[in-house]
Amino acid sequence: MLLEARGIVKTFGNVRAVDGADLAVEEGELVGLIGPNGAGKSTFFDCLAGNLAPEAGSIRFAGLESTRLSPDRHARLGLARTFQVPVVFAGMTVLENAMVGAFLRHESRARAAQKAAEALEFTGLAGQAEMPAAALGTAGRKRLGIARALATEPRLLLLDEALAGLTSSEIETAIGLLARIHARGITLLVVEHIMEVIHRLTRRVLVFHQGRVIAEGSPAEVTANPEVIRAYLGRRAKRGEA
Amino acid sequence: MILLQLAADGLLLGAVYALFSSGLTLIWGMMNVVNFAHGDFVMLAMYIAFFSFTLLKLEPIVFVPLAAVLLFALGGLVYYALVRHVMRGPMLAQILSTFGLALFLRYTALWAFSANFVSLPSGLVGGVYDLGGLRLAASHLIAGFSALLLTLGLHLLLTRTDLGSRMLAVSEDRVAAELVGVRPDPMQALAWGLGAAATGVAGALIALFFYVSPEVGNSFLLLAFVTVCLGGFGSVPGALLAGVAIGVIESFSAYWLGPATKDAVVLALFILLLWVRPQGLFGRA
Amino acid sequence: MKALFPRAGFAAGALLLFAAPFLTANPFYQRVAALTLLAAISASAWNVIGGYAGQVSFGHSVYFGIGAYAALLAYAKLGWPPIAGLPFGIVASFALSIVVGLPSFRLRGHYFSMATIAIAALAGILVTNWDFVGGAIGVMGPARARSFADLLFRSSLPYYAIFLCVLAILLLFTRLLQKSRMGFYLRAIGSDERVAQSLGVPVRRYKLYALLISGAFTSIAGTLYAVMVGFVDPNSGFGILISVNMVVMAALGGAGTLFGPLIGAAILVPLGEATNALWGARGIAYVAYGVIIMLLARFSPGGLAELGRFIVKGWRRRAA
Ligand SMILES: Nc1ncnc2c1ncn2[C@@H]1O[C@H](COP(=O)(O)OP(=O)(O)OP(=O)(O)O)[C@@H](O)[C@H]1O
Ligand SMILES: [Mg+2]
Repeated sequence: MLLEARGIVKTFGNVRAVDGADLAVEEGELVGLIGPNGAGKSTFFDCLAGNLAPEAGSIRFAGLESTRLSPDRHARLGLARTFQVPVVFAGMTVLENAMVGAFLRHESRARAAQKAAEALEFTGLAGQAEMPAAALGTAGRKRLGIARALATEPRLLLLDEALAGLTSSEIETAIGLLARIHARGITLLVVEHIMEVIHRLTRRVLVFHQGRVIAEGSPAEVTANPEVIRAYLGRRAKRGEA
Repeated sequence: MILLQLAADGLLLGAVYALFSSGLTLIWGMMNVVNFAHGDFVMLAMYIAFFSFTLLKLEPIVFVPLAAVLLFALGGLVYYALVRHVMRGPMLAQILSTFGLALFLRYTALWAFSANFVSLPSGLVGGVYDLGGLRLAASHLIAGFSALLLTLGLHLLLTRTDLGSRMLAVSEDRVAAELVGVRPDPMQALAWGLGAAATGVAGALIALFFYVSPEVGNSFLLLAFVTVCLGGFGSVPGALLAGVAIGVIESFSAYWLGPATKDAVVLALFILLLWVRPQGLFGRA
Repeated sequence: MKALFPRAGFAAGALLLFAAPFLTANPFYQRVAALTLLAAISASAWNVIGGYAGQVSFGHSVYFGIGAYAALLAYAKLGWPPIAGLPFGIVASFALSIVVGLPSFRLRGHYFSMATIAIAALAGILVTNWDFVGGAIGVMGPARARSFADLLFRSSLPYYAIFLCVLAILLLFTRLLQKSRMGFYLRAIGSDERVAQSLGVPVRRYKLYALLISGAFTSIAGTLYAVMVGFVDPNSGFGILISVNMVVMAALGGAGTLFGPLIGAAILVPLGEATNALWGARGIAYVAYGVIIMLLARFSPGGLAELGRFIVKGWRRRAA
């Protein structure tokens, strides 16, 4: 098992954002994580990647107890992530952004630049390498987030809504990119709202609701699951009232 | 008896601290911007009080509200001319903007009013009352109680009125507030105006019993930092409790350790607090 | 052309720096030139943590004061030449960075700046009330040179030469840093700490490295100041304005750029001296500082460097 989380709890004041979530990902898998807005997916990611310390539960990554490790230790162990709101290092070029990731495993500047350039090539950003990163649009920023994470040469990549806010042609490109990343042998755990993406990419999906996993299975199985439908509908019904 | 005296002095002074710190905490809580010129707002209000009396022969009952009005205008102006443009920009710009304002105000005052210490006549508002051995200056009493009332008023304004809830809505989610028809800019300008006005009243009240000089703002800025940090960033009731606590701590440490070290005690407390509980003692994570 | 231009500009700038004080025989101008370099050293030192790593410290006066006091205490207590205090200042600056800086790194943005203001104020109070280091009166250096090692010169030119060497070393060091992994990491931290950490940057460790470097060079600036001026008191060593100068100079020229702090110092020190000579008061210069900073924050947070790039870009576009 590459990543295994048990009974994770994380609260903000009296909001139980993650409430006893479990998860297990095998090396080489591509797992989807779906769930309505506010289900706690991003918070769960923060716990898995060391950005937040869970109040209860334990996480093992790559055979190590990793619950309390800092995000940089996670990165060193081979867990990389992107953020839902794509942030770039604004004062740097696109290439320099990716180099920050590449420096994790290569101290020499030349090596890091080369590895970063490869990551940009792979994600289709090579043409913009010398551009100031701040000049990128949403799609570019999301791709740069992925490129930066890839430059750390991870074993597991956590993607938080890497495709949200993209146009349909950009989504096509992005689906291809995720498939190629997976084909390289990198394990993927992706949070995604767009069901079509989930259907096309993943064979196993976890459904998150109110801070825990309520269903698990193939995309077809979970979309037919009455509890899942209720979770999504309940949300929508509540919104309809408001 | 002396302990009681120290506690009473500390409480009254602390209420004033609470009032000007409420101004800082209001601005901080509303938009996550620290007003590094806050101490100099106090200084300005003190000069307004001083010159209103010496030049215009105005009584405190007039110059305290005058300071409030002038500072309110200043706060709004600072928001529209400066803060609005930097508050979502780079951190350096956010910090530098109000810090530059602080330098500007302080050294303009130095240039215009000279470095001399001046003060209002000590008998301006009544004498000293003797309550069974407890000696309380009328100026302290008036300052303390008005500050207390105004701080409570500010709290009620924020929590019990429609205006207050609109201000809070903007502070919680600018975009969402806009969607429900609250324009954020006037609300945030109002927060700056109110924060500055509270500071103005506090400054004018302090001038009743404290000397004025262009550099006096620095120690008030630090006091406000400590108070806001102790009370939880953004919380007016927190600032009230903390202000009173700081007043009492100061008063006791000045008595036991000497006036020179009292600032050191408060500062050390502040630094430790920041290190251990950055969210403030009564604040939430 | 594009590659040649910065090189040529760099050579011209370096030449100008070397030649500047020899262009005039006026001791006042020579002194201003020396003070400009000294200010450039502190501002460039501040730039490592405040500019590159984006941690806006208003507490660097403490490092400056430590360096200055180390020099003059070495003379007053041990009879050594003031410059011999330099290593003590550096060691003390390291200790300060670890004991006081490290816990402060838990704080971000405004909170960090608030803490540094408080720390500097506290240090000032402690020094003022500590009789061993001269209390409010301060410490004097040697009245006349006992040997060359006292580095007491009537002319400002020898100081200019010393300061230029130190500045050159610091800038070279910064240049190397900028090109290295650490430079990238610091800029990443300054831009977004959370993202940097998720890419494997050990944030606290790198902030500490930056502070150790920044603090040590600031303390060197303090030592050099004490050597030249021969006197320090709590205000001239630990006063908040010492920090303000560093911050404003770096920000004006361009925080996080190699030459920004030098450019800022080259503008502001002469400006300060001029207003001082014209009005006989320092205060006016700080009124101007205040206005400059507000304008910078409002219109060009990247300082003149950003403004320059902007203008060049516009110019190129029009040429094209
Ligand atoms: N820093 C925080 N402070 C307080 N509450 C938070 C914080 N972060 C998240 N929450 C709350 O925790 C809950 C879960 O949020 P989270 O962002 O993890 O959900 P999500 O599943 O990622 O939603 P989305 O699909 O909208 O991204 C929400 O109710 C949110 O308001
Ligand atoms: Mg999310």
